Amino acid sequence: MKGLLLKDLYMAASYCRSFLLLVVVFLAVSFFGDDSLFFIVYPTLIASIIPVTLISYDERDSWTQCSGTLPYSRGQLVSVKYLIGLLFGCVSLVLSLIASVVRMQLRHSFSLEELCFLASALLVLGVLGPGLLLPFIFKFGAEKGRIVFFVMVGFLCVISIVAAGLGVQTALPAMGYTWTLAVVAAVAAALYALSWMLSIRFYEKREL
Amino acid sequence: MNALEIKGLTKDYGSFRLQGLDLTLPSGCILGLIGENGAGKSTTIKLILDMIHRDGGTITLLGRDNREQLQLTKQDLGVVLDDVGIPGCLTARQVGNVMAHTFDRWDPALYREYLQRFFLPEAKPFRTFSRGMQMKLGIAVALSHHPKLLILDEATAGLDPVVREEVLDIFNEFTRDESHAVLISSHIVTDLEKICDYIAILHQGKLLCCEEKDALLERFGLVQCSQEQLAQLPAGAVQGQRSSPYGVRALVLRQLVPPELHISPVNLEELFVFLVKERV
Repeated sequence: MKGLLLKDLYMAASYCRSFLLLVVVFLAVSFFGDDSLFFIVYPTLIASIIPVTLISYDERDSWTQCSGTLPYSRGQLVSVKYLIGLLFGCVSLVLSLIASVVRMQLRHSFSLEELCFLASALLVLGVLGPGLLLPFIFKFGAEKGRIVFFVMVGFLCVISIVAAGLGVQTALPAMGYTWTLAVVAAVAAALYALSWMLSIRFYEKREL
Repeated sequence: MNALEIKGLTKDYGSFRLQGLDLTLPSGCILGLIGENGAGKSTTIKLILDMIHRDGGTITLLGRDNREQLQLTKQDLGVVLDDVGIPGCLTARQVGNVMAHTFDRWDPALYREYLQRFFLPEAKPFRTFSRGMQMKLGIAVALSHHPKLLILDEATAGLDPVVREEVLDIFNEFTRDESHAVLISSHIVTDLEKICDYIAILHQGKLLCCEEKDALLERFGLVQCSQEQLAQLPAGAVQGQRSSPYGVRALVLRQLVPPELHISPVNLEELFVFLVKERV
């Protein structure tokens, strides 16, 4: 498993270098930008697609077949992408939160509530993308998997519109921001774990 | 002990079907798998490695069913596929680091020795390598963890004749240890004729033969004669034939041909072409 992690870190260092630079620039800009959270949220979005990007490169380079000849189980081959997702997700989450604290301090407007809200939003954004996309990619491959994912996103948009109509967004702040963060973190962890298990099951059945 | 035993292996893709394949590779030997494009060579290799799921039959790899503890068995396998599959951005040095954390018996000194022997730069990305260099790196990786069984799918393709010769020598050297074996598929039949102890010929998913190379080449022969002479041969003697304005060239079973007819030896490439293309 260490070998797989090392290989993905080498690949991330090579292919995702520009992403990492972008993360630093965006966070730096967020200190001095307007009130928009875009520059703080965007790095997490970028980090969340790194595992998917790596899988696309794996397929292009025929690593998918090569890895099938090595002494790794299908579960390990899947797990390494989830671990990479966690690693980059956590790093970007922490960096975004630090940047956010610095931004608030510069404006003398520190707010724990706002920080909790931001952390919840980043968790949802960081987990939702790979959590939903990866099982499709492990089942259908990077290209077909992406198409299925976009169909799913459309479906989720419809659900969120319906949820908004039912007043779910007003119910969350009523729980208190720290509780909201706890609930969101628990749901995100559950979703990620479920996605992880599903991906292993799909990949075990896939022919390489 | 047999390094590989395949019995009744079947895989059905709808448009292509691998049918009841039986293969045996004894330890200390090299088995060459010959077949035209799409004959089922790569499918067989992927089935052995459980990369695709079989529909029927059994595969015993180094004494174990290939579905049992395959991870453990793969520690003893060195595999090179047609498409080597090393990520393009990795350098040979980085590949070595990855493999050192992959194989329990990875030998960094041996790996460096192969890199030097094949003139492979350690610090250049894999994508900048020529096809031949990529293949050589794949072979270096496959050999550097002291495997017991090498599985090579078109591993000599793209190599220049000098390196090909050297690589074939390495495979030959490898099987001097009686616990080692090699399964190699190739289009370059002359390569297989040089190094293989056993030959298996696949055609459209069916095994035409699997036997010791020398026995196989002794069993068959070539005759050059007229159509009339050929018609007088006993039934079953002629296995393949090619007509030309100068007569008929036919692949025959030596033991069924009368001694007065001159039979010349057949090489593996001719045997393969006759059995696959000119079969009667």
